[in-house]
Amino acid sequence: MRIPSYDDLTRPIPDISARETFDEIAKFLPRVDPPPEVRPAAKAADTCELYACLRHGPTTLPLHSQTPPHFLIARDFSPRIERHGTACVVLDVSGLGRLLGTPQTIGAELARAGAAAGADVRIAIARSQTAARLLSIAHPGPAIAAGECAAAVAWLPLETLRVLIEDDAAGDGKATARVKAAVDRLDTFRRWGLTTLGEIAALPSTELSERMGPQGLALQQCACGIDRVPLVPDPGVPRFLQSMELEWPIDALEPLSFVFARLLEPLSLALERADRGAAALRLELRLVDRTTHTRVLQLPAAMRDAKVLRTLLLLDLESHPPSASIDIVTIEIDPVPGRIVQYSLLERALPSPETLATLTARLGALVGDSRCGSPVLLDTWRPDGFEMTRFAPASSSQLPAPSFQLPASSCQLPAPSFQLPASSSQLPAPSFQLPASSSSSTSGTLGTLGTLGTPGTPGTPGTPGTPGTLLLPWR
Amino acid sequence: MPSALRVELESLLRHRQLDRTLTTNTWADISRDVAATGLEILDEQLGGGIARGHLSELVGPRSSGRTTVVCRMFRAAANRGEAIAFIDTCDRFDPASAAASGVDLSKLLWVRERGDASRALKAMNLVLQAGGFGLVVFDVADVAPIALRQFPYTTWMRIARVIEGSQTAAVVIAAERTARSPGGVTIALEPATDASRAQWSGAADRARFLRGIELRTRVIGGR
Repeated sequence: MRIPSYDDLTRPIPDISARETFDEIAKFLPRVDPPPEVRPAAKAADTCELYACLRHGPTTLPLHSQTPPHFLIARDFSPRIERHGTACVVLDVSGLGRLLGTPQTIGAELARAGAAAGADVRIAIARSQTAARLLSIAHPGPAIAAGECAAAVAWLPLETLRVLIEDDAAGDGKATARVKAAVDRLDTFRRWGLTTLGEIAALPSTELSERMGPQGLALQQCACGIDRVPLVPDPGVPRFLQSMELEWPIDALEPLSFVFARLLEPLSLALERADRGAAALRLELRLVDRTTHTRVLQLPAAMRDAKVLRTLLLLDLESHPPSASIDIVTIEIDPVPGRIVQYSLLERALPSPETLATLTARLGALVGDSRCGSPVLLDTWRPDGFEMTRFAPASSSQLPAPSFQLPASSCQLPAPSFQLPASSSQLPAPSFQLPASSSSSTSGTLGTLGTLGTPGTPGTPGTPGTPGTLLLPWR
Repeated sequence: MPSALRVELESLLRHRQLDRTLTTNTWADISRDVAATGLEILDEQLGGGIARGHLSELVGPRSSGRTTVVCRMFRAAANRGEAIAFIDTCDRFDPASAAASGVDLSKLLWVRERGDASRALKAMNLVLQAGGFGLVVFDVADVAPIALRQFPYTTWMRIARVIEGSQTAAVVIAAERTARSPGGVTIALEPATDASRAQWSGAADRARFLRGIELRTRVIGGR
């Protein structure tokens, strides 16, 4: 029996000579499969464009809602979405066929997501954006047009085209004239006796262009369901959200601070990368008794320092502790554009908003939220007519220029600083003035009398213990 | 003019990195970096104003004009664009009077404590550690002296260290001398004992207006 050698078990390596071609050498190289996106079969399937349109139904959108629900649904299904006004969003569902199946299945999934979100959403799917939008305007239920676009929208009335144009002009103040011109052309079509989009599509293009110009041709293309511009994906607003499910429930603030640090540091990093700051912090604590403790911290300025945010959360929880131990911690940040700070050499630096927010929170925890801040006088006759507001000193550039004071040598003049009260409820401000002579009292304007014993030399400190005399005006 | 001995002592301390045991500001720094009170007479006595980075005190009995002087300090600081903090231990501050005195209330952080001096001291410590304020006033005038004496003796030293070298001028209002840092001053307000120093307007016996009361100021300290 022959024992195989190592050479017998491995393939022989041929000697490479100049006569051998590259193909012969390539036979010995490992075979690399082409990446999935360039596979011929998959490429053929993806070349078929498919768009879905989600349109909010006739019910009124909720006021102050930052993101309408159909936008969130569209974002969940596709990263390529484009908004058309507040009521309509188009999403590219071309690649969803391999994941969900036929366009009918995609439409059913969109409808299911809409129902789960409780949103009143109209759904239409077609091979062009315009066709999908037109179908969503006309169809209350899901409309799937997997075939020719022009045929799918041919039966739609002219009114759908008007709604389409108004959607495009929503939020653009300069587009009013353009919309009015397009609506006038639609009226012209009506006067010609046309009632459906198919009839507009059947018009001869040359004659239509001669009568209405390029705008008429644009309307005809829309009536055929042809996209005049490609889908421009919305850049999107990323969600700054972090959540952590704890292995053991936490019922104290100290261990919770470590959890906050672990959640807030990546959030802070993400905010910094996106050049965003936190306008509000939303803390959601899932408790062991299956309740949710929610706190929302409105921050005085956009900030993204993880330590500051953690301190604010802890101080807030110190004042508003949860009722049970914590199971799941979720922090979401409402982002706003980052704050640009420009310091001035001419103005005195004020405490930064981060410092003030932390200080105010600490003081609020110490003495009470309502017992620290800036007083604001109320327009009332009550003696205690004031309320406390958040302390937010404005920069001095927003203030009037400081009044210049006369030098001591000019105090022989009547004092100009005294002002009569605007009303009887406002008392005059006390003022002190240096008299002409340091050893005598002089009469001047009401409330400006004063005497001084022995003032020190200007620019040098007075002799310690040297007495002086001031007049405290009675108000 | 500092003596040669003092200069030599300070240089030795600085060489051995022990200068932080004393105030780091020389007299020249103090004279440059002051917060004017807004009262010309007082500013002249103080050499320009209250030293920044130091703890000063304003002492005087009741109705001696402490609040009026403080309001003028607030007004001057607000006109300079500075942030002001007022820790009101007994919640006695009247914002309407301050506004009538010309104080910009939007620049004022008012901390209202209900009489607990130790908690007010914590609040002052928080404000001083936050920094960025031009003037911080701590009002313990209506606090019982025995409550102030219960503070550890290192309390005021620690506060003086917190603001040392900063741009904050801290002032304690008290009925009697309580605390100040080595570079700070004590402004003592004394009501005139002579009744004739009250200023009246009008000649009638029954209806006359009190125009004001003369006060004596005494500045102690300030190297």
